[in-house]
Amino acid sequence: MIERLLAPLRNVWDSLVERLFFLPPFPESIDSLALFSLLLVVGLLIGEWLHAHARWPKVIGYVLAGIVFGPSALGWISIEALAQARPIADAALGLLMLEVGRRLELKWLWGNAALLRGTLADISLSFVLIFAFALWLVGLSPAWAAATAAVTMASAPAVVLLTIEESRAQGQVTERIILHTAIGSAASFVAFAVVLGIVHAELSADWLNAILHPLWVVAGALLVGGLGAWLALRIARTLPKRSLAQVFVLIACALLAVGIARMLAVPVFLTLFLMGVLLAATDRQQTLRYTDLPEGHWLLAIVLFVIVGASLPWQDFTWVAGLQALGLLLVRATAKAAALAWSGGSLPLSKRLLVGVGIQPLSATAVFMAYEIAGLYPEVGRSALTLPLFAAAMMELIGPALCRLALSRSGECGAGDKGGIA
Amino acid sequence: MSDKGLENFKESAPLSLGVELELQLVSRRDFDLTRGATDLLDSLDYDGRFGEIKLEITESMIEISTQAQLTVDGIAADLAGLRDTLRQHGERNNIGICGGGTHPFHHWPERRICPGERFNGLYQRYGYLAKQFTVFGQHIHVGCTSADEAIWLTQALGVHVPAFIALSASSPFVDGVDSLYQSARLNAVSAFPLSGQCPPLNDWPDFCRHFEFLQACGIAQGIKDLYWDVRPKPEFGTVEIRVCDTPLSIEQAIALAAFAQSLSRWLLRTRPALQTERQAHVARYNKFQACRYGLDAEISDPSGLCRQPLRQTLTPLLEAISEDAGELGCLHWLSPLKNMLAGGTGDAAWLRERFRQHGNLNDVVRETGERLMR
Repeated sequence: MIERLLAPLRNVWDSLVERLFFLPPFPESIDSLALFSLLLVVGLLIGEWLHAHARWPKVIGYVLAGIVFGPSALGWISIEALAQARPIADAALGLLMLEVGRRLELKWLWGNAALLRGTLADISLSFVLIFAFALWLVGLSPAWAAATAAVTMASAPAVVLLTIEESRAQGQVTERIILHTAIGSAASFVAFAVVLGIVHAELSADWLNAILHPLWVVAGALLVGGLGAWLALRIARTLPKRSLAQVFVLIACALLAVGIARMLAVPVFLTLFLMGVLLAATDRQQTLRYTDLPEGHWLLAIVLFVIVGASLPWQDFTWVAGLQALGLLLVRATAKAAALAWSGGSLPLSKRLLVGVGIQPLSATAVFMAYEIAGLYPEVGRSALTLPLFAAAMMELIGPALCRLALSRSGECGAGDKGGIA
Repeated sequence: MSDKGLENFKESAPLSLGVELELQLVSRRDFDLTRGATDLLDSLDYDGRFGEIKLEITESMIEISTQAQLTVDGIAADLAGLRDTLRQHGERNNIGICGGGTHPFHHWPERRICPGERFNGLYQRYGYLAKQFTVFGQHIHVGCTSADEAIWLTQALGVHVPAFIALSASSPFVDGVDSLYQSARLNAVSAFPLSGQCPPLNDWPDFCRHFEFLQACGIAQGIKDLYWDVRPKPEFGTVEIRVCDTPLSIEQAIALAAFAQSLSRWLLRTRPALQTERQAHVARYNKFQACRYGLDAEISDPSGLCRQPLRQTLTPLLEAISEDAGELGCLHWLSPLKNMLAGGTGDAAWLRERFRQHGNLNDVVRETGERLMR
């Protein structure tokens, strides 16, 4: 479609090039910076409009922008452009995963038995019920059912963090949503690594890859994440605490880790999550403990969600696939609500259930994980992982609203609610 | 705002004590104030044996109050019990709890008023002042055997307000900057229309007439509307000293209670002549001096018509009340105050020193929490 629109301009340009020798040939692809800017503005406008007129979380607007302009609908964002923008998406997701990793408060978990019970129940019940649903009701093979469960069992760290920031929420429900999301992410990454081996074992008889690929992913992420954390702390120690210079060091080290992870084909989300965990665990002198990401990370987050929206395979949508995805989401929601209700503890049942609602989002990490696994054996992987991708596609549009609902029902949203970039 | 009128003065055991401490609820991630009071209270598994744990005006505060006790040792046991209870529940909810008169760097518009008719009424009445009132004080109740005794003691203790301020000062930082005050907290209290000192009154009937006058003018409806530095509290049968910052440690809070009890005994025993009319003219100035300079304040003496260094007048006062402290069995609790006067470090100086050490206020609040809980 975009080609058709540009055709007259191309003709005029080509005729000019013959006479004006300084003109370059008609650009065949959009410049990366221009693409970044377009994605940003389009996402921003739709997100802000929906937030101002319908009070919807801005994330939904960003994803909608991606869906509308992506390959599934208007096609203005081509598949090539998506691949071109992938480094930006990796950087954005990486920074958000770093933040979630830093929020993994194991000390709190060990000091609160009910919380530990709740998170373990959430992890195990979500995995088991989704696996059973995919295996027996959808009819996937055990390997792909396990991959589906690994990809969809956890909440979406990026959505949760941005919704909380946008709502300026504070309180027990908010803190527990973050903790469940962080623990769930850690568990899903472990499951993801194991599933890589299982998929290799099922689809090829190559046991070497089945064993070494998960090891490569885990050890690689650990090493790169560890290197990033060590470097960030080492340099930041020489700078004043909470200074802008420390913020830049943190971002630079995170982007370095993103870059190395991409070079080594190690998942960026896992690498940066581990970097965050290691950063928090080894920062004994509180060197970077109070250094927050700058407001500018919203800029990258907008582009991330536009790209995620554009990556969703709506063009392959069928009613059967849609119903299966809906079933998966219902099973997943039941697992999370049951785990929270059963866990007991000091937080009242109504608030625990709100935590269950708040951890429903499913988004970028799941989509990227699904594509990572699907990419191993593209001929079968893409169709085998339609289920989690559609579940993520649906939850992209409902998840942020559910998280927002949980925060506002718990009464923990900030006065004026002017978070985010507004 | 209370809609109750003035209650009859309930007599209580002479010099019995009660202590209230307003404490800060902070995030354990960055040590900024957090909203957690309602959740913390809802999750409380506590039988009330050491006193009460209650909500305060905003969600980032909590108030603990001991049982009425005859001795300072009793207060110490209650405060230790309340601290241990809070430590346990704070850890369970991942909420840090610390002392100090102000939070050094919180952003007051982010505060949320606690649910409840009284708190909502205060917010409607005072607007943003209610949120800025997220400051933390120690209130000490001293039991009186009669209403007239309570009014006399209210006036007599009024003279010593600068001493209580200076000894408890723990709020040098506001909005992330050094205010240059030792106790900046009281500046937030001063904004309220009925704050300040109790006017010169002779006895209980005099107080009742004054209160009825305020009621008739529509200014106050209950005793809780009077934010006086020292005020009678008829329903408890006490005089309440309200000017202290919440100290950084339980030990300092106990020392201040011991000081209040011993001083009250000494005052009631020696009955010094009170120049209440003259004192009224210098009270605000003296309070400012104590807030600004702490123990280095120059206190105006309306009888001697001079200014005297507070440190110089406090040392003999502590010596004078030592005999009463001995009789009450709380002499050892006065040691932290004597050490301060002898050149030791007060809470405000400690906070500044830690800030110099760390270069940031997050670490200062982190250490403040550790200090309260140890």
